[in-house]
Amino acid sequence: MAEPVLRAEEVSVHFGGLVAVDCVSLEVGSRELVGMIGPNGAGKTTLFHTLSGVLAPTSGRLVVAGENLTGRGAHIYARSGVARTFQTPRVFAAMSAEENVRFGLEFAGRSRTHAHDAFDNAASILGFLGLADSAGIPAGELTPAKQRLLEIGMALGARPKLLLLDEVAAGLTEGEVELAAALIRRVRDELGLAVIWIEHAVRVLMKSVERVVVLHQGRMIADGAPQDVARDPAVVEAYLGGEAGGEA
Amino acid sequence: MTMSGFRERPSRVTIAALATGVLALAVAPWVLNEFLLSLALTCLMYAGLAVSWAMFSGATNYLSLATAAFFGIGAYVTALGYESLTYPVSVFLGGLAASAFAAIVGVAILHLRGAYFAVLTFGLGELVRHAITFVEKKYSGTVGRVLTETPEAATVYLTVLVVALAAVAVCVAVRSSRFGLALAGIGADEQRAQTLGVNTRLVKIGGFALSAFFAGALGAAMAVRWTYIDPPAVFNPFIGFQTVLIAMVGGAQTVAGPLVASIVFSLLTELLRLQFPYLFLIILGTLLILLVLYLPGGIASLWTRKRAGKRDG
Repeated sequence: MAEPVLRAEEVSVHFGGLVAVDCVSLEVGSRELVGMIGPNGAGKTTLFHTLSGVLAPTSGRLVVAGENLTGRGAHIYARSGVARTFQTPRVFAAMSAEENVRFGLEFAGRSRTHAHDAFDNAASILGFLGLADSAGIPAGELTPAKQRLLEIGMALGARPKLLLLDEVAAGLTEGEVELAAALIRRVRDELGLAVIWIEHAVRVLMKSVERVVVLHQGRMIADGAPQDVARDPAVVEAYLGGEAGGEA
Repeated sequence: MTMSGFRERPSRVTIAALATGVLALAVAPWVLNEFLLSLALTCLMYAGLAVSWAMFSGATNYLSLATAAFFGIGAYVTALGYESLTYPVSVFLGGLAASAFAAIVGVAILHLRGAYFAVLTFGLGELVRHAITFVEKKYSGTVGRVLTETPEAATVYLTVLVVALAAVAVCVAVRSSRFGLALAGIGADEQRAQTLGVNTRLVKIGGFALSAFFAGALGAAMAVRWTYIDPPAVFNPFIGFQTVLIAMVGGAQTVAGPLVASIVFSLLTELLRLQFPYLFLIILGTLLILLVLYLPGGIASLWTRKRAGKRDG
């Protein structure tokens, strides 16, 4: 395989005495769609924070497209091709949807080459997401579901190689979750991005991805094809033993 | 908070009105009497201070009380260079000195937010004031400096006018630039802006230093108005507070708001001071409270609100 888009080597994050992420190693190749699951408090979001440079790991190394970015700022990760969304959409409420998408294009996405014309400008990105009608509306006035889409649009504005999606389907209806899953597959299939997708709706996620990573108490307890992971005793134990109903 | 007006092109009427206004301002020294000219000078000074303050603090929501420190540093550049520098050079160097100071201090304190940032920037003025007092007493053997030959009132007025106009021009240019977009992104959600590729640290330091330039230049230009310069006079916290008040009352997310407010505020202060010498601070305070309560977006929200109403209707 060519140089992976992202390589995390034995990454750990400690908050005082608490170990939030415990020696996680992970490689993601180009055009790979990886699901990430785990009970609440497993360290998924904290791991995302380190993978996007928002939080420096306590130990370990992060290599993006062959370059060691450990300890660098989040803007360096963004410029190197890692874009992310946040669990609670963090759109710029007072700016229009179009301005929100253009923000990434003006900074991280500015000098990056892009293969697909969906990345040409803010209008084409909004069109790809089905948000063309909302372009002029202030982001704060959009429905929560549209804000979640716009959050993805902002990340796409950075013209990334790897997209980190943190529970983009949280709080959506079942139908909307299916739509979100279809959209995420299109991001990989049509735009050619690598995607790591955290989601609590495990059933939909398992159907959509070809690789699943399971975190539990900060450790990576499984990494493989969905059908294998689902049968993994450690995974079953993590979900049923500790937090029954974690699939809410 | 509103960001409307962001990246808007001024209409032809606005440009014509601006040109007329600038012309009127430029001939003021030959038209106005001494009292009115001094009042106009105060308006211009606060216009420059408030607009440049809003450029950084209004956009980023970093509430800086460092204006007094920058202003005082500029004034001291004039005082120290009094015998060796020409007036325009002093003004420029005063701006540069304040800018350099802001950049160095910014490296240390721009990771703080909210009340911590406000309190620290306020402390800066006090710190520099005491540092200069100490150095002057210890090494220069003086507590203040006398400026005997100062430029004419018209020269001072026109210099302050140029600096204030430059501040407005730079603010307008910044708002329609990528730099301005980055500042606005920092104000809206700093971490989100960083994950979209903005070097937030560098942008904040740059914005802080750019805004400090104008405060420093205005301090250097205004210094000659006092014939005797000592730290308590030029590092006056009132100047910093007044600047913040004007920008906020006007609407710190806009350029026009602080401009209008600086005129209203300076005239109002003067009127109240003359008419009600004992009650003027009480009346001013009450007015401020009412404004903050009933017009939280500032004076600028009056016309943005009107425009929004038109769009809906």
